[in-house]
Amino acid sequence: MNPRLAHLLLLLYPRPWRERYGVEFEALLQTSHGDLRASANVVWSALCERVFPTPGLKIEQRRFQSWCVRAPWAMFGIAPLVLLAGAWFVALLILWSGWKIFLPGADTPFVPTDGMREFFYFNIGRSLYFGAPILIGWGIGLAAIRQRSKAFWPTVGLVAIALIGGTAQVHASRTVVPVGLGHIRMDFILPHSVQGVPDGLLHALLILSLTLLPWVIWRLQKALYLST
Amino acid sequence: MQYSDPPLLVLASLANGPKHGHAMIEDIVRLCGTRLGPGTLYGAIVRLEQQGWIEPLPPDERRRPYRITAEGVRILRAKLATLRQFTKAGLERLKAL
Repeated sequence: MNPRLAHLLLLLYPRPWRERYGVEFEALLQTSHGDLRASANVVWSALCERVFPTPGLKIEQRRFQSWCVRAPWAMFGIAPLVLLAGAWFVALLILWSGWKIFLPGADTPFVPTDGMREFFYFNIGRSLYFGAPILIGWGIGLAAIRQRSKAFWPTVGLVAIALIGGTAQVHASRTVVPVGLGHIRMDFILPHSVQGVPDGLLHALLILSLTLLPWVIWRLQKALYLST
Repeated sequence: MQYSDPPLLVLASLANGPKHGHAMIEDIVRLCGTRLGPGTLYGAIVRLEQQGWIEPLPPDERRRPYRITAEGVRILRAKLATLRQFTKAGLERLKAL
């Protein structure tokens, strides 16, 4: 393998891993056959090592880690909420601007649209709106796994994100604003019931299940590792 | 069909003496036809070293050889015995077909 490519591939691994195995691994890469296959194999392995670091290898003392230890309530409780608020602000801005641009005469932006441009524009906002709680939840889970944090604050963060994501509702109307600019607001309620279980709670449980995926994969990987 | 249990393959490869990464890959190809990727090989080496089943030797220039430990030999023996039992039972069932 090309020495330059071998060095670039090595950089994909976390620093503690490189400090321990870097020299010998780079030497191995330089003598490896099949550049493309070997490269794909290394990229995948490096990604796995970054997401699920080997237990026992010293973790870097980064500022992020120290914040996770010193103020877990801020890293796992407050920061995800701020991120979610930011993502939803952008999503609602897309909704509002799309309403103004593509549906100037409509009383609400929640109407079927014909054009491809409108379709893509509104779907960017929709994806951001529905995807943000799950992506932020994954972020909490991965950060907690990487930093070996205690479960309490990450759990609080995940449950809060799931509840907010499940109970949030967006309303839009032009009539409440006299000048006709259009008005978008969010409510957090448990509206309808499906056989006694509030609809929003089901949505929250779905978000929580999806956000717990990285943790479940990590536990499975750990179990496989111990049984090796 | 290729057998693929990287930690077991690495242990089996080191059973006849210390080897560095490239020598292990070539030995495993000769042993069972499986060519481990470099990332997969080092994933297995890291785990085995963490578990104390193999240990590093002083580096030979940039390459570092590894050798199997006594605990690694015990584990390898147990795993191969299980595989032998499994193979024997499987082949006996095939005979009945």
